[in-house]
Amino acid sequence: MILRGLRRAALFVLALMIVAAAWEFYKAVGPEKGGEILGVRILPRSSERAMPHTWEMGQRLFDPEVRGQDRPIWLAVLGYSWFTFRMALVGFALGCVFGMSLAVVMARFSVVERGLLPYVVASQTVPLIALAPQVAALGGNWGLPKWMWVAALGAFLAFFPVSVATLKGLSTAPAASLELMDSYAASWWTTLRKLRFPAAVPYIIPGMKLGATAAVIGVIVSEVSTGVRGVGFAALTYAQKATSDPAQVYTAVFGAALLGLSMFGLVVAIELLVMRNRPAEAS
Amino acid sequence: MTTRGVSHPVASDAVVVDRVSMTFNEGKSNEVRALCDLELVIRPADFVSLIGPSGCGKSTLLRLIASLISPTSGSLLVNGKSASQARVEQDYGMAFQQSGLFEWRTVQKNIELPLELKGWGKSKRHQRSTEMLELVQLSDFASNMPWELSGGMQQRVAIARSLAAHPPLLLMDEPFGALDEMTREHMQAELLRICAASETTVVFVTHSIPEAVYLSNRVVVMSPRPGRITEIIDVNLGSDRDEDTREEATFYGKITEVREALRGAEAADGPRGIEDR
Repeated sequence: MILRGLRRAALFVLALMIVAAAWEFYKAVGPEKGGEILGVRILPRSSERAMPHTWEMGQRLFDPEVRGQDRPIWLAVLGYSWFTFRMALVGFALGCVFGMSLAVVMARFSVVERGLLPYVVASQTVPLIALAPQVAALGGNWGLPKWMWVAALGAFLAFFPVSVATLKGLSTAPAASLELMDSYAASWWTTLRKLRFPAAVPYIIPGMKLGATAAVIGVIVSEVSTGVRGVGFAALTYAQKATSDPAQVYTAVFGAALLGLSMFGLVVAIELLVMRNRPAEAS
Repeated sequence: MTTRGVSHPVASDAVVVDRVSMTFNEGKSNEVRALCDLELVIRPADFVSLIGPSGCGKSTLLRLIASLISPTSGSLLVNGKSASQARVEQDYGMAFQQSGLFEWRTVQKNIELPLELKGWGKSKRHQRSTEMLELVQLSDFASNMPWELSGGMQQRVAIARSLAAHPPLLLMDEPFGALDEMTREHMQAELLRICAASETTVVFVTHSIPEAVYLSNRVVVMSPRPGRITEIIDVNLGSDRDEDTREEATFYGKITEVREALRGAEAADGPRGIEDR
């Protein structure tokens, strides 16, 4: 168990080093001004401003956010990420509750499924970046803090995969088990609690994995367009200083990556907990 | 018809099937007459097997008794009540060819499922499920997960679950059909032991003639298209049946009798789906 953990950690570091090496390789051989074919840029620029060295990014973490401050930027980025993480977590939790409830209603009433599913699918094509300021403004009118609305937009992206996965999972209970519950004269609700929902869990978990990362994306995008000061907003601010301080934006990128990994890790922890007594092939 | 032995049903009968017909997809082009005008009375503590070729409606009859489906015409009484009322009051336990255990519950929690649905308290459930585990000799596996058990052990858990609420009637649909021959014979002996101990009435659907003869007091022979009862054979090998019974002449005699009844039943149709083992 410990050995497997060590191996995984080593693989993670190795993968990171390969990405860094690829970055440096392209920077060394790639065209300074980028590559164009018929006026369309297909290769990114490898200039110092566009692609700072990986070690410069690393070093940048220990310099302050704004010249003159004592606090290194990694602490500031960690603070932003923690704020965003909490919003994403609230959004993810809301998305899970809403997504699962919606799936239960759709499973119960096939009329609802037929009527609602197209709208559920359509909801995911709404351009969130355009919607976010409107939603935040609306929230402001209702006297709610902005972060709640950013979290709600995270939930808006998170509920979809959870809902689709739950709906599929709820239909996987074997006919023999359903007949058994029937023979106990169990109500639909009891059958849901004792049979359909537990049987759906192996399907819900992958949906939650997608939902967790979707919540992070939703929250970061909404920050950018609402001005809530999390890691997404920090990335935007840093990117504006790319001319003078090209490495800075990557500190925010690291923060966002860490945030995404933490959310994913959370779902993996949930998976280990709820799937610990299941047969191996079901997980 | 004297062979049916149904002439005087009384309220204390475990099961009364009264002129029951079952037609699926009635009035449509794919209409199937599954059962036609069935009559059968099963007394308490009786062990009755339903045997017949595929498509003779024996599983349909079992599901009708269980009130999982409703007959097109005729009526069914279980423990003196309508079949649907008996289902609501959980007057019967049911076991299928697939054990149908819930993989997210331990063996013990699987056995407790019907008790939970009856609203029993935790300690009472635990006490009963512990008893049931002893009955099927799986006490050491109480906290195991079902998928950690062999097929035969899973089936024993399913039987324990079907008996947990002490239902007066046990309905079984080829419960040993998926087991190998040795496990199957062992399970048959176990079932007889358990039923004798609990005085449970059993209706048992099977494809196997020796299984039906070994287990039953009476074997109900059915014919297909539409499903009818053609003969009811009294077996009564006695309550002290053991492994030696399987080698006695009376056992073979009864097997021959059931086989001939089946041949008569399907003379027009040719033998199908009957195991001679």
